[in-house]
Amino acid sequence: MSTTRSYPWGVSAIAAIVVGFIVLPLPFIIVYAFSPTNYLVFPPTGLTTRWFANFFANDRFRAAMFNSLSISAIVTIVTLAMALPTAILAVRHPFKGRALLLNFVSAPLLVPGVVSGMAALSLLGQSGIGVGYWPIVVAMICFTLPLALRPLVANLSGIDPDLETAARNLGAGRLGAFVFATLPSLAPGLIAGGTFVFVETMDNFSITVFLTDLRTTTLPVEAFSYIRDFDDPTVAAMATLLILLSVAIVFAIEAVLGLDRFLDLG
Amino acid sequence: MRQQRHELWLALPSLCVVALFCIVFVSFASVSLMKVDPGGAVMHGPLSLSNYERALVSPAVRQTAYYTIRLALLITLLSVLLGYPLAYVLARSPSSRMRRAILLCLVATFLSGGVTRAYAWTIILGNRGLINLGLQWLGLPRLALINNETGVIISVLNFILPFFVLTLFGAIRTIPLNLEQAARNLGASRGRVFRHVTLPLSLPGLAASASLAFALSLGAFLFPQLLGGGRVQVMATLIYDRILSSYDIPAAATLSVLFLLLVLTLLGGLALARRLIGSRYGAPEAA
Repeated sequence: MSTTRSYPWGVSAIAAIVVGFIVLPLPFIIVYAFSPTNYLVFPPTGLTTRWFANFFANDRFRAAMFNSLSISAIVTIVTLAMALPTAILAVRHPFKGRALLLNFVSAPLLVPGVVSGMAALSLLGQSGIGVGYWPIVVAMICFTLPLALRPLVANLSGIDPDLETAARNLGAGRLGAFVFATLPSLAPGLIAGGTFVFVETMDNFSITVFLTDLRTTTLPVEAFSYIRDFDDPTVAAMATLLILLSVAIVFAIEAVLGLDRFLDLG
Repeated sequence: MRQQRHELWLALPSLCVVALFCIVFVSFASVSLMKVDPGGAVMHGPLSLSNYERALVSPAVRQTAYYTIRLALLITLLSVLLGYPLAYVLARSPSSRMRRAILLCLVATFLSGGVTRAYAWTIILGNRGLINLGLQWLGLPRLALINNETGVIISVLNFILPFFVLTLFGAIRTIPLNLEQAARNLGASRGRVFRHVTLPLSLPGLAASASLAFALSLGAFLFPQLLGGGRVQVMATLIYDRILSSYDIPAAATLSVLFLLLVLTLLGGLALARRLIGSRYGAPEAA
């Protein structure tokens, strides 16, 4: 009984079409990235890696790629390190303002990206600090903190606090008990939270577009300005690299954590 | 009690972020009360509400706000119609291999980001793009799918569907399959089981995913900017244009404050509606 479908085939057909619609841009852009012409021809007239070479030969793209990767790495590490104590406090030491604190931390998710970007830009303009690399890092830490916090809180709620108590009774210090008894079981939350933060920082456009200038850009912002000025598949080559990165991340998550666990924590 | 106070330092990093956020928004609100001289970069007082006056009487701003809400509602409705069947199949499919394959596709798409997909849609929907090439091959006339509302709706929908489906899938999965099977064993048709068991039980999850879709489409920026070709103006693109065209930060800040108030009011109303649905159809939700 439990193996029979509970829905008619028409529903499966709609679902299949919707999956196709969701996925369509990815295979399409990969094919386009290898197209020898800057417009579509069917059937394709050949393959070229010219646009990838173009991407790596472009100084602005190289600098933007370095910025995006290093900013995302810094933001991921700092955000996880900041979210962890908050998660411990919220789960293990409930206090009066707990809900208020969690709501405040999650507030940036409700604010449209353009408004957050504008707000950051006004403060940087008003205070004379100006935009650039470190302002982007700080803004993205504030914005991605809730993305890291949620999986950590969900993960920690499922870990028995007695483990840590047992470790302490056996003579471990407070920090030692946490590091050796609890932290290993927190790996799923750290992986899930880290993935969300890294991907959001790599991909963010609506906040960072306000905080970049001619000297410091990120990949999405640079791609955006390239699309406006040129009409060739160089950005498709960049997109293909990003898709490869995300496919690698998905398979790594599936191998280490399992997708179901990952989605439960999100 | 003493031990509790001892642990509160753990909140310090988050409190710093919250404090910074408050400073940013206070500064932001104060900037919206200032002025900037044409061509200058220095914002100055005296503080006045004149920016708000100008924004609120402007028909363009009001029209854009109205249009933004309408577009977000339409996209949310389409997400529900297209996303529900997929989320349901994902939660109830007897084949775990197919479920896994669909999940892999959804998560990979979701992780590959917005810029990638926005760019892909400009090519797919373009005048010499995939769709028009196909139409041409069939001997049909070309369609204008880009630099207009159609392109924006298709691309924003494509961006939002993975979020919507994954959220709703999580909710439908928690509904015990036994309930549906019991109704079937008692003689109810599949349609009846859906209307009287599955749909009501999934309403809280549906409300949560629809609110998420609505919030994301209200704030959508990159897709209207790239696929609207300057002809589709939503609040987000209007604010960006204000900065780009005149670098008038106070005017753009004013629009942003108004937009934020609009979004918070709408989402607050939705949260209230969700609470009502929750108390009627399901366990009260903490979130």
